[in-house]
Amino acid sequence: MAAPLTLLLVVAVTIRAALFRSSLADLIAERVEVVSPLNAWKRVVEGLALLDLGISPYSGDVFHETPLIIYLFHFLVDYAEITFMIADGITAVALYIAVKEYNKQVFRKQKYALEADRYPLDCLELIRSPKEMYYIPLKVAMFYLLNPFTILSCVAKSTCGLNNAVIALFILCTIKGSALLSAIFLALATYQSVYPLTLFAPALLYLLQRLYIPVNIRRPSFWWYTLQYAFMYLGSLFVIICLSFFLLGTWDFLPSVYGFILSVPDLTPNIGLFWYFFAEMFEHFRLFFLCVFQINVFFYTIPLSIKLKEHPVFLIFMQLAVISIFKSYPTVGDIALYLAFLPVWSHLYRFLRNVFLVSCVLLACSALFPVLWHLWIYAGSANSNFYYAITLLFNVAQILLVSDYFYAYLRREYHLTHGLYLKRKDGSEATLVLK
Amino acid sequence: MKTLTLLSLISTYVLVSSIGIEDKAGQFFGSGHTNNWAVLVCTSRFWFNYRHVANTLSVYRSVKRLGIPDSHIVLMLADDMACNHRNPKPATVFSHKNMELNVYGDDVEVDYRGYEVTVENFLRVLTGRLPPSTPRSKRLLSDDRSNILIYLTGHGGNGFLKFQDSEEISNVELADAFEQMWQKRRYNELLFIIDTCQGASMYERFYSPNLMALASSQVGEDSLSHQPDLAIGVHLMDRYTFYLLEFLEDIHPASTTNMNDLFKVCPKSQCVSTPGHRTDLFLRDPGSVLITDFFGSVRKVEITMETINLTSPVEQVEDKPVDGDLQRETHSYVDQLPVSEIIHQKPKQKDWHPPDGFILGLWTLILLVFFKTYGVKHLKHIF
Repeated sequence: MAAPLTLLLVVAVTIRAALFRSSLADLIAERVEVVSPLNAWKRVVEGLALLDLGISPYSGDVFHETPLIIYLFHFLVDYAEITFMIADGITAVALYIAVKEYNKQVFRKQKYALEADRYPLDCLELIRSPKEMYYIPLKVAMFYLLNPFTILSCVAKSTCGLNNAVIALFILCTIKGSALLSAIFLALATYQSVYPLTLFAPALLYLLQRLYIPVNIRRPSFWWYTLQYAFMYLGSLFVIICLSFFLLGTWDFLPSVYGFILSVPDLTPNIGLFWYFFAEMFEHFRLFFLCVFQINVFFYTIPLSIKLKEHPVFLIFMQLAVISIFKSYPTVGDIALYLAFLPVWSHLYRFLRNVFLVSCVLLACSALFPVLWHLWIYAGSANSNFYYAITLLFNVAQILLVSDYFYAYLRREYHLTHGLYLKRKDGSEATLVLK
Repeated sequence: MKTLTLLSLISTYVLVSSIGIEDKAGQFFGSGHTNNWAVLVCTSRFWFNYRHVANTLSVYRSVKRLGIPDSHIVLMLADDMACNHRNPKPATVFSHKNMELNVYGDDVEVDYRGYEVTVENFLRVLTGRLPPSTPRSKRLLSDDRSNILIYLTGHGGNGFLKFQDSEEISNVELADAFEQMWQKRRYNELLFIIDTCQGASMYERFYSPNLMALASSQVGEDSLSHQPDLAIGVHLMDRYTFYLLEFLEDIHPASTTNMNDLFKVCPKSQCVSTPGHRTDLFLRDPGSVLITDFFGSVRKVEITMETINLTSPVEQVEDKPVDGDLQRETHSYVDQLPVSEIIHQKPKQKDWHPPDGFILGLWTLILLVFFKTYGVKHLKHIF
C-alpha cells in the first residue's frame, strides 16, 4: 500500500503548493473560520519579530503560541509552507499506520470471538472481512489530506496543523502500544492546547486493554499501571514546561497561553460557541459561565469512558469530536482531524440515521459562513446573530454526527451480543432506542 | 544707524522736492501696521446663492492681487460653486455676465469649506481659540501690528447674519469677538465690510477701538443682486460687491486712493440700497487711510544710495607663491549637527537566538526518548 499512499501524498502536496502560489493564500489566511487568535500565522510572525526587537513576544495580546513553537519557527520561518505540508503529511502517514494496526487488532479480536462462538448466528452479516477493511487506512489518509478543511488550514499556515500532527503521532504510539511515547506526545499536545488532556483516559484504557489488565477499580494492577502512565505523562509535561521556561527565561508564557485558552479574553468571531455568549455577558457572571463552558469539554470524558471502556479507539474519536466542538477557539483544522476517522467506522453505515441531514447541514453551513460574514462585516445588512446562527447550526450538525455514530456503534455491539433481528417478548419486531 | 539714514534721506528729499514731503514722511510713520491679514467669509450654500461665493472670491482675488499672500488669507466658502453639479461651466466662478472675469482661477486656496464654515469656527478663527491640531492655514495668526480686513457676505437681517441656513451670528457676538481680539492685541486696525440685507445692523454694536465698518445697506433695506447670467442661470454678483470690485480693479499697490473714495462706492443710483459706514471708533482720519493699508500688503522699502561698511570685513587670503606652488586655505561651515554620524548610524539588528542551554536540554531529551523507545539494536524491527 505504499504506492497509493505516495501518490496520495504527491497529489495533496501539489494541491497545497498550487494554492500557496496563488493569490488565495492571503485571503484564506485572514478568514476567521480557518485561523483563530491561538494559531494564526500572522501572530507567529509578529511574535518572532518582537523577539528580534528584543521584546518578549508574550507582552501584549498578540502571541499565544508556546515557546517550543518559537523555537521551531525561529529556524523554519522561511520554510513555513514546507513545514506545514510536511506536518500534514506526517499526520496522514501516522493515521494510516495507526488505522492499519488498529484494523489488525479488530480483526484478531473478531477471529477470537468467532472461534469462541460468541456471536449469535443471525448477525454474521455484521462481521467484517479483511477484504472490506483493506482500503480503510488509505481512505483515512485520503479523508485527511484531501479534506477541504485541511487544505484551507494548511494554506492559511495555521499551527492547528502542527497540533493535529502531534495528536496523530500520539494516536499512532498509543495503538502501537508504546506507553512512554504516547505519554510524551500527549504531553506535547496538552502543552500546546490544554484540551487533549481528555485523551488521557482513552489512551490509558487502550494500553490497559492491550496488556490484558482488566479495568477494575479494585484491582491493584489497574492502579499500578494508571500510576505509571500518569507519572510518565505528568512528568513529561512538567519537563516540557520547565524547558520552555529556559527558552525565554520567564514564566510569561503560562498566562499568555493557558490563561488565554482558559479565560477566553479574545472574542473574535469563530466557528465556536464562546464568542457570542461572552460578548453579551455581564461581567459578574463571566467567571461562572466560563467555568460552565470549559467544564463542558472535560465533562463527557468520564461517562463516555465508562460506557466505552471496551472500545477505547472509538472513545478517542468521540473525545476528539467533543474537543473540536466545545473548545474555546475551534477552527476547521480541528474538525478535519476527527472527520479523517470516519472511514474506520464505515461498517456502521447501515445503522446511521442522519446521514443526509448532517451532510446537507455541514455543507450548507460551510458555504454560508463566508456569505454571512460578508453580509455582516462588509455589506452591513446582517448582524452577528446571523453568523452565530450558522455557527450554532454547524455545531449542532457536528454533535448530531458524533451522536449518530455513537448510536450506530453501540447498536452494532448490541446486535453482536443479542442477534440482529430483535424480538420482543411477544415475538413482534423490536426497535433499539438510544436513551 | 537706520534713523540716521532715514534722517539723511528726508533731508535729501527736502532738498530735492518740496511738494508732499511731510505727507510722505507722515504717511511713512503714520500707519502703524507691519503685516496684513484678510478673513473672507461666504456664509450661504446652495446653487442659487452663487453670487455670495462670487462676491467673496472677487474680494479674494483683489486682495491677492494687491499683495496679501495666501498664508495671510483665511478664505471660508460655505459651498462649492465651481464644481457644483449644476454649474454649466465647471471649475469657473464668474463675476460678470458674458463670462468676462473668472474669479476662481488656478490658485484659489480655500481654508474652510462646506460644512466647516460655522459660527463657531468663524469666532474661533477671529479670537484665535482653536484646538492645537488646527493647521496654520486655518488660523488667523495676527499680532498687534496687523491690519485685518474682514469681509462677510450672505443672507442677513436686522442684527444677525445667517450661516449655512441653520444658524446665525448676532451683531452682539461679533462685537464681543472684536473686543476679545482687541484685548488679546490681535489687530492694529480692522476694516469690516459686510454685503447682506440690512448689513448696517451688524456694525451697530461695535465698541472696540480702531474699527472701521462698511455695509451695503441700511437697516430696513435689502441688498440687491446685480445681473443674472442666462447661460449659468443665476445672479452672478451682488451690486455692492460688483461695484466694489470695479473700484478695486483700478487700485494697484502704489496707489494713494484713500478710504473716503471707498465710502463713495456704489451710490444709491447704482445700488438701490444705501451703503453705510462707521468710522467713529477709528483713531485716524479716514482720509489718511490708504486702500492698500487693508486691501494690499505693501511693504515699506527705502532705497538709499550710500554705501555702508559691514562691521567685520572679509579678509582676503593672498596666495603667496612660495616655491612655485599656491597655498590655499579652505573655509567651510562648521557642522551644527553631526549629520554624517546620524545618517550612517543604523540600528544593529540583534537577532534573537534560543539559549544554548535550551537547545542542549531539548535535544538531549529527544535523544534519550529515542534510545529508550527503540534501542539502537531494535531499529530494524520497527521499520
